Amino acid sequence: MPITKINIGPVHPSTHGVLRLAVYLDGDTIERVEPHIGFLHRGVEKLAETRMYMQNHPYMEKLDYIAPMAYDEAYVSTVEKALGIEVKERAMYIRVILLELQRIASHLFFVGTIGNDLGQMFTLFMWTYMDRDKVLDLLQEATGSRMFYVNMRLGGLVSDLPPDFEKRTLETLEYIDNRVKEYEAFIEKNPVFHERMKNIGILTPEKAMDLGVTGPVLRASGVQYDVRKNSPYYIYDKLHFEMKILTRGDNFSRYKMRLLEMRESIRLIREAFKMMPEGDALGMPVKLRMPPTKNKEVWISREAPKGELMMYMVADDQKPYRLAIRSPNFVNLSAIVHMSKGLRLADLFATLGTLDLVMGCVDK
Amino acid sequence: MEGEYTEEEFQIAKKEMDQLVQDSLKGREIKPNVMFAKMSDISRAISVSKGLVKWARVNSLWPMQFGLACCAIELMGFGSARIDAERKGYLLFRGTPRQADVMLVAGWVTKSMVPEVKRLYEQMTEPRYVIAFGECATCGGPWFESYNIIRGIDQVLPVDVYVAGCPPKPENLFEAMIKLQEKISGKIED
Repeated sequence: MPITKINIGPVHPSTHGVLRLAVYLDGDTIERVEPHIGFLHRGVEKLAETRMYMQNHPYMEKLDYIAPMAYDEAYVSTVEKALGIEVKERAMYIRVILLELQRIASHLFFVGTIGNDLGQMFTLFMWTYMDRDKVLDLLQEATGSRMFYVNMRLGGLVSDLPPDFEKRTLETLEYIDNRVKEYEAFIEKNPVFHERMKNIGILTPEKAMDLGVTGPVLRASGVQYDVRKNSPYYIYDKLHFEMKILTRGDNFSRYKMRLLEMRESIRLIREAFKMMPEGDALGMPVKLRMPPTKNKEVWISREAPKGELMMYMVADDQKPYRLAIRSPNFVNLSAIVHMSKGLRLADLFATLGTLDLVMGCVDK
Repeated sequence: MEGEYTEEEFQIAKKEMDQLVQDSLKGREIKPNVMFAKMSDISRAISVSKGLVKWARVNSLWPMQFGLACCAIELMGFGSARIDAERKGYLLFRGTPRQADVMLVAGWVTKSMVPEVKRLYEQMTEPRYVIAFGECATCGGPWFESYNIIRGIDQVLPVDVYVAGCPPKPENLFEAMIKLQEKISGKIED
C-alpha cells in the first residue's frame, strides 16, 4: 500500500498548542511521525541576556504556563547559587508547599485534557478545571496573582503566607483527595478508557533513558528517577514521601502516574505544614544592582511537574551572560517519534496527550 | 448591520416577516400548524427584517478553539464550570474556523505563525470578529524586543475588541464578549 502523508496542525484542537505533526500512514497504521516545532519561538534565552537578574522573573514563568512557579523558582535558585545567597529556613518550607500546590494544579489540568484527547470526555475537563480553580485560589491568596505569580525573591519570598492559609489549604487538600478518588472511579470504570489506553504507546525503560525522557513519563516506564529523591533540594530529604513507580510504560500507566503523584504531593504539603518553623521568610527587596559576580558558571536541576528542568547560567556583572534552559517538554516530545510507530492514527493523540506537553516550553 | 436597532424596529421586522411567510403560504393546501415556506421566501423575509438577523447574530457568538500560548489557559477557564460562558450563548469552542464567528487571538504571534493565523481568519465565514486577548496579541507584551514576534495582531487582522492583562482573567473575556455584542448591535461606535 502506498504511504499517505497527513499534516496535522499547527492549529488543531488536540495538539495542546501550536505543534505540527507530519504523519506518514500505511493504511491506518502509523509508519513515521515527524514533529515540526518552533511556532512559538520568541527567544527567551537571548532576551534574558539583555535583562537584569530581577527583570527576568516574568520571562521564565511564561515558559511553562501550566506550572509557572516551578520555572520561576528554578531561575531564582540559579541566581541565588551564582550570587551565593542562602535561602531562609521558613522560606524553603513555603516554597515547597507552593511548588507542590502548583504540581497538583498542573496534574489536574492533565487529567482534564486527557479526556478531551480521547474524544470529548468533556465532563472530566469541567470537573478538573473546577478543582484546579480551587487550588489557584489558594495560590492567588498566597501570592496575589492567579496565573503568573512572580513571588520568588532572592533568599526568600515577596511575602509570608497569609493568616489562616494553613487551615484553608488543608481543607482544600481534603476535598482534592476525595475528588481524585472520584476521578479514578469515573475514569477507570469506563471500559472504553481501558481499551484506548492500555498497552498503547509503550515506551521501554531502555528507550526512555536513551532519549533522556524525565518526570512522570520516565517513572511510568519503571525507571527510579526523581530529582526530589535522587539529589534532594530544599527540605525534600526531611519529608517522607514515596517515589511512585509503574512498570508497564503505556498510556494508562502514564495517566495513573499523575494521580499517584497528586496523592504524594498532598502528603508532602500536609507534612511540610506540620514541620514549618516560625520566623522570617522575606527575600531581598527588588534592587536592580546586585553584588558583582564575574564569569561564574552555575547549573541547577529541579523536578518540575513535567520532568527534570535544568538551568545553566554564566553570570556576568549584573545580568546573565548566557542562560541555557533544559526544557523537559522538548525532550519528552522526542519520545513520540518512537512511541507512535505501529499505532493507529486515532491513538496518536491519546499518546501525545499523556506526554503532557506545553509548547511554550518546547519552543522557548 | 447598519443603523440603530430598537425594540420597536424588531417588532416591526418580526411582523413583516410573519406577513411574508403568510403570503407565501396562500393558495397551498397545508395544515395551519405546520410551518412550511419556500426557501426563497424565507430569505426574502430575512433580508427585509435586518433587525432579526442582527438579534440572532448578537446572541449566538461562537468562538473558535484556537489557543496560542498562556492566555489559552484562561480561555479554557472561560468555558469551564466557574464562568460557564455557555449560559450567555457563547457556545462551546468550535474546532473548525468554518463554524466560528469570533476568533480569539490568545498569545504571542510569531512570524512563522502569521500566515497560519491569516489563513484561519480567511476560512471563517462572514461576518467575522477578532478579539485580541492579552497583551501579546494587543501590542507584543513582554516580548516587544524579541526578533521573532509581531507587535500586535492588529498588524495582520482587523481587531474589534482589545483585552488588557497578562494574562487577563476569564471574567475580562466575558466583558469583552459583551462589548463585542454591543458593537454588533450598534450600541457603541467603532
